[in-house]
Amino acid sequence: MNISVNLLVGFAMGLNLIALGSNRLPSLIRAMSVQGVLLGIIPLLMEKELDWRVALVALATAIGKGVVIPGLLRRAMRAASIEREVDPFIGFVPSLLLGAAGTVAAVALAQGLPLLPEHAGSLLVPGALASVLTGFILLVGRSKAISQVCGYLILENGIYLFGLLLIKTTPLLVEAGVLLDVTVGVFVIGIIVDHIQRAFDSLDTRKLTALRE
Amino acid sequence: MNPGTLLLASAASFVASIVAGNRYARAWLTLTLTGVFAGLSAALIVLLGTTDWEWRSTLIVGGQLVFLRLDGLSALFLVLVSVVGGAGAVYAHEYWSEDDYPTSAPRGRMWWSGLVLSMGLVLTIVNGLHFLIAWESFAICAYFLITLDRQRRAVRAAGWLYLAASHAGTVALFAFFASLAARTGSWELGPLRDHASLAPLFWLALFGFGVKAGVFPLHFWLPDAHANAPSHVSAVMSAVAIKMGIYGIVRFSGWLPMPAAAGWVVIALGATSALLGIAFAFAQDDVKRLLAYCSVENVGVIMIGLGGAMLAAAHGHASWGLLALSGALLHVWNHGAFKALLFFGAGSVLHATGTRTMSRLGGLWRTMPWTTGMFAIGAVAVSGLPPLNGFVSEWLVYLGLLDAVVSKGPAAWAAMPAIIMLAMAGALALASFTKAGALIFLGSPRTQAAAAAHESGRWMRLPMLTLAALCIALALVPVLFWPAVARAVNAWDTSWPPAAVPNSLTSIGRTQVALALAAVAATFLLLHKVRTNGLRRGLTWDCAYAAPTAHMQYSSGSFAGIVVGWFAWILRPQGIVRRPRGLLPLKAFRIGHNPETVLELVIGPVSRVIVQASRTASRLQHGNLQAYILYVIAALVALGSVAWLAGTP
Repeated sequence: MNISVNLLVGFAMGLNLIALGSNRLPSLIRAMSVQGVLLGIIPLLMEKELDWRVALVALATAIGKGVVIPGLLRRAMRAASIEREVDPFIGFVPSLLLGAAGTVAAVALAQGLPLLPEHAGSLLVPGALASVLTGFILLVGRSKAISQVCGYLILENGIYLFGLLLIKTTPLLVEAGVLLDVTVGVFVIGIIVDHIQRAFDSLDTRKLTALRE
Repeated sequence: MNPGTLLLASAASFVASIVAGNRYARAWLTLTLTGVFAGLSAALIVLLGTTDWEWRSTLIVGGQLVFLRLDGLSALFLVLVSVVGGAGAVYAHEYWSEDDYPTSAPRGRMWWSGLVLSMGLVLTIVNGLHFLIAWESFAICAYFLITLDRQRRAVRAAGWLYLAASHAGTVALFAFFASLAARTGSWELGPLRDHASLAPLFWLALFGFGVKAGVFPLHFWLPDAHANAPSHVSAVMSAVAIKMGIYGIVRFSGWLPMPAAAGWVVIALGATSALLGIAFAFAQDDVKRLLAYCSVENVGVIMIGLGGAMLAAAHGHASWGLLALSGALLHVWNHGAFKALLFFGAGSVLHATGTRTMSRLGGLWRTMPWTTGMFAIGAVAVSGLPPLNGFVSEWLVYLGLLDAVVSKGPAAWAAMPAIIMLAMAGALALASFTKAGALIFLGSPRTQAAAAAHESGRWMRLPMLTLAALCIALALVPVLFWPAVARAVNAWDTSWPPAAVPNSLTSIGRTQVALALAAVAATFLLLHKVRTNGLRRGLTWDCAYAAPTAHMQYSSGSFAGIVVGWFAWILRPQGIVRRPRGLLPLKAFRIGHNPETVLELVIGPVSRVIVQASRTASRLQHGNLQAYILYVIAALVALGSVAWLAGTP
């Protein structure tokens, strides 16, 4: 079981780098949604015998992150008719280098953390840390609101990975709640994106500095 | 009647007057005066009786039971609040009337009632938390009264300065009451002399109340606020509001154990305030600024008396401590009466001429005889001259200090310089008020406005007459007021024996009456002589100059020039001089300015540094979302590394 989980987490870490390197919004969204689906599958592989509740969480995660949220984002993108370029703050190569360095650091850090013996060999913790870092890099390094939403979602994916460590003890309701939060968050951001677009004729968050006192 | 009923009636009429003040001027005045008389009677019942009034209610405010108490000390101050609160309300009825100030007059009435009510609460509340609430609402009411005329830029600036300074003091009081509550386990206040560990808290109280009282280096807000406020507000601020600071210092110096240095510090602060306050006053050209600085001097006199009493209490010399403290407390009343009178006089002049600048006035005694007379009484009183009331209380303070010198204890080392500085302050006070009286009322008018002055109406004259009568009563029969003062002293230190009227006070009363009679007789004699012989009017000798003008009279700067020179090290007078040049000089002038040294040389630079630092820090807040997220990451990483480092043994 660990091998397949590790494989999936490894894929997710690769998708982090793809997200950092993509220069067009649709591909960024696609990377994020694929990552969401992969993460949705992981709980199914972690359990020896399949509990229907775990299956439900997995299904909801996969649909939410793989279909609903990307759909919302694509709709927002169309509605606001924004250019497809990502328009980076931190260039693609530096972002990739940072991401790679972050992944290495995450693996190193995970070695130093006092983990349970059963998690010691797993890639879950390094994957979680690497996704959080990637999310941060996207949040800081991209100027369009949609790409920041993607950054936020990848960050959330990292937190979700971390949460998988505790899947046996976390109640179902908490998992479902987190998912709902994320969906509502993206929904709200979709509305905000629309409003930013109307007010500033652009989705460049750098222009929000005009709002400061 | 029971003081509790009276206080309840008083509070109820003040609340009603806040409501009525918005619309109905007459109803407001009636209600305010009712409240004032009820409060005054309650205070007098407590002062002249033997028992304190206490009311422990089941009402809970902010998680604390409401607990009110009126003892000798708070009743003494409540009398002052009531008298000046009532007099100022009557004065404002004409001075700040609806006709002249249609928008700010209703506001002024409401805040006035609020101010008097909250000061009354400050005096009766004996719970630290509630005290802070009342204290804060008192400060805010005063702020809105100071800025009644907020169209003027100077008024707004003075208001902000007052508010900032007042809150700096309040912060210290928050610390004071909170640590008091933490150490005693209760917010309730009361005598705590046996808790020796509370002694250092006195410094916090001294700072917090000292800002409000306007003790010398903390007085920097006072001249601006008192000068720019409407005159009835200046009167209540100077005569009463700063006394709330004094009340706090007296109250807690009586209740808390004192640090060993407390008496020395208080007496030193008092002496400094007295001397430097009056030196600053002498240099002013604005009559209300002069009066405001003079309040700093009088607060100094009170602090000298209190410091003397604290030294006496620390070294076990009840007799002269009692004299010094009763002098100080009597001076609280005296200063309240004559300073309110003087500010009413100055307001009357301002009302009639539109200026506070003394160098633009002159010769007002012809057009404003009542105001001149009242101002003269106030001026004699404030200068500490017999036969008026300022002399009585200052004399008691002197007597206390002289006894301290004679007793040759260690306190003599503080008392001796204090006497000298008090005497110097007295001389300068006389000079200051000679200057003010002469420039405003004597000579001939320096400007058109001064020439066109008119006497103020009866609503303004009535409170002035009342206060003048009070000054005379306090001066001629001080024995009458002794029981009240003795009771307040007894509330300060219950271990001191209840004092009979001191012989010195009886004799000074007799001397004052004799002096007053002599003065009245001399006046009548002079008038009689003038009537029979007639007056011969002539020009002042002017070196045979052919075209004398009113501008050749003494100006404020020339009158004070020499003394300002003595105190130049602290006054820092600034001026632009253009001397007459050549054989036929065309233009020559001297423009003088006396800055508020503490404000401009200490507070100003310090606040500029703070503002600069805040500006630099505010560059971090530029509105760039990405950078904000970076801050979050940086903070997370920092926290993480702290946790990491702390976790590794």
